[in-house]
Order: sequence, then structure tokens, then C-alpha cells
Amino acid sequence: MSHPWRWWAMCALALAGIGVSGYLSWAYLGNQPIICGQSEGCDQVRNSVYSHVAGIPVAVLGLAAYLCLLGLTVVRRRTPDVLGGYVPLAIFGVALVGVLYSAYLTYLEFYVMLAVCRWCVASAVIMTAIFVLALFDLGAEAT
Amino acid sequence: MTTHHKVRRRSGRQSISMRQAAIIGGVAVLAVAVLIGLNLAQPRPGLDLTGPFPYPTGVTPEGEPYRGSPDAPLQLIEYSDFLCPHCAEMSNALTALAPDYIQTGKLRVIFRNFAFLTPESTAAAEASECALNQGADKFWHYHDLSYARQGDGLSAYTPTQLKAYAAEMGLDTTAFNTCLDSQATLSKVQADVNEGTSQGVKATPTWFLNGQMEEGAMTEAELRTLFDDTLAKTKGS
Repeated sequence: MSHPWRWWAMCALALAGIGVSGYLSWAYLGNQPIICGQSEGCDQVRNSVYSHVAGIPVAVLGLAAYLCLLGLTVVRRRTPDVLGGYVPLAIFGVALVGVLYSAYLTYLEFYVMLAVCRWCVASAVIMTAIFVLALFDLGAEAT
Repeated sequence: MTTHHKVRRRSGRQSISMRQAAIIGGVAVLAVAVLIGLNLAQPRPGLDLTGPFPYPTGVTPEGEPYRGSPDAPLQLIEYSDFLCPHCAEMSNALTALAPDYIQTGKLRVIFRNFAFLTPESTAAAEASECALNQGADKFWHYHDLSYARQGDGLSAYTPTQLKAYAAEMGLDTTAFNTCLDSQATLSKVQADVNEGTSQGVKATPTWFLNGQMEEGAMTEAELRTLFDDTLAKTKGS
């Protein structure tokens, strides 16, 4: 069982991720301009070929990942023995996919597109924090 | 005995967890590889890269490519950088308006390179001039393709990619590659930039509609309004 503060931190981060990816999904699907500060990188990133995978906006994939992480985190707290105790592994797997794909997108922004979308970077930071917490949880389960 | 049993159980559980974590990690890496593969393999917007344009194209006495009738009442001179997103928006808007304004003889667009963002901007501009050496139609197809590939970022404008576009369009690749490798059009690109600077161009897109300077891209609707207003004034005067 993870430390309570880790559980709360995980929930807070997943909710923050839902907020960021939810906003980007809404802007993408509704074709709304993205609030991006003085930089115009958000629209440039959105208009690029990298903003969707097989027709699905990356923001929507991110939203699905954060919802999944939040759901798993809540399930784990309420029914620790569900899925034979494999929930920390599932959280680790989803967070690893998220952090690796975020790293790929951040690389594209800084070195390929030369356009930085702050929301995307924020999501990458959130996902990295979730991954670190998931690693700690997995370590605690394994010892 | 009991202690020994616990240690075995505990160490057994740990080894299983580590193995499971490794398997999940492997599956996650594989999933990301599939996602990246799907992302890179996405179809690009289709472009007609060889067909004739349904309006006149040509080269001005100063050597600048144009599309539209030289006698059109609206003369638009555009300074652009192939890596500039707003230039691509402007280009798309002009392409969308082509049937109503260029094809009907109301508008001529003259293109000038204002390559200033990155070294790749200059390379893309040189490549467009190399395409122009093979004809105005070739230039405009190359121009449209260069903008269409902008979403790929800097990697869209490496010498290898620029040559691949020429091959994709069916240009004479020997002549094109020699032109690009020898930087035969660099001085022309620099002359365009200098000309723009002397006219007050500082950023892209900057364009002159019948001599009136405008900065930044306009949407299709805004351009339509501006063109109609300018046409009305031209008729009125």
C-alpha cells in the first residue's frame, strides 16, 4: 500500500493532467484557439502532423491516459486486492507509456518543430511526476 | 524455520514483481514504438504536383515567379519564408481564393523569398529558386509542396528532403541537385532578402497589395473582404 501522501499526490497530478489534456482536447476538437501566452507554439504544434496518431488527437490520448491513471489509483485505494494486487503494475505501465511518448513529443517540439506548446510541456512534467511516484510504489510493493 | 520460510516467500515475491515490472516495461516500450510508428506513417495531404495550373504562371522581368494575369487589377507581392507558419496560412488562404480571384483574372501573386528564420529557410528558398529554373509551374508546385511539409519541422528542409521533393514532382533531378549543391541560387535569395529589407520588410509574411504594405497573415475571409474593397476602389478611381 502506498503512503497516503503518494496516493493524494497521484490523484492531484492525474486531475491536473485531466485538466491540461481536457483543455487541449476541447480546443483541438472544437477548433478553438489555444491560450498560449506570448508564444504561438501551441497552434503550430496543433497544426503539425505530430498532433494526432491514426486520426486520434494526441491530447485525447493523453486525456484517456490520465483518466485511466486516476481510475486505477482510486480503485487501488478502495479495493487493494482487486486484480490480484496488480494495479501498481498497471499504473506503472500506463505512466511509462505516457512518459516515453511525452519525451518523444517534447523532443519534437524543441528540436524538430522549433515550437513549444507550454500546455504540452506541462503535461510532460505532470506525467513524469506520476511516473516517478509509480516507480516508488512499485519499489515499495517489490520489497 | 518460520523466518526462513518468510524470507523465501518475500524473496520469491520480489523476483516475480521485478519480472512482471520488466515485462510491463517491455510492453510499454513496444506500445510507444507502435504509437510513434503510426504517428510517422500518417498520410500527408494529397497535392497535385505535376498538373498545369488553371491560370497563367510566369516570371517577372526581375525574375520573380508569379501566378495570375500580369494585367490583373490586384497585384500582390508576397515576402515569405518557407519555415514560417503564418506564411503557410497565407499561402493556403491564397490557394483557396485562387478560383475566385486568380483564375478570374482579378489577382496576380508575385512571390519573393524572405528567408530569415533558420539556415533551413535559406536552403528551402534556394531549392524553390532551383525549381523555378525549370519553369514557373514547377516553382509553384515546389512552393505548395514545401509549405505542405512544414509540419515535419526542420527535417523537412534538409538537402536530402529538398532533393526528394524535386524527385517526387518529377523535376530534372540532375539539374536540380547540381543547382542546390552548388548554391547557384543563393545570391538570388540574398538579393530578394535585401530587396525586402530595403522596402521595410522585417518579418514574414509581409505583402504589398497594389503597393500597400501589410504584415502578417490574413484569413481567407479577411482577404476576400480586402480584395473586394480594393477592387471596388480601383473601379471607382
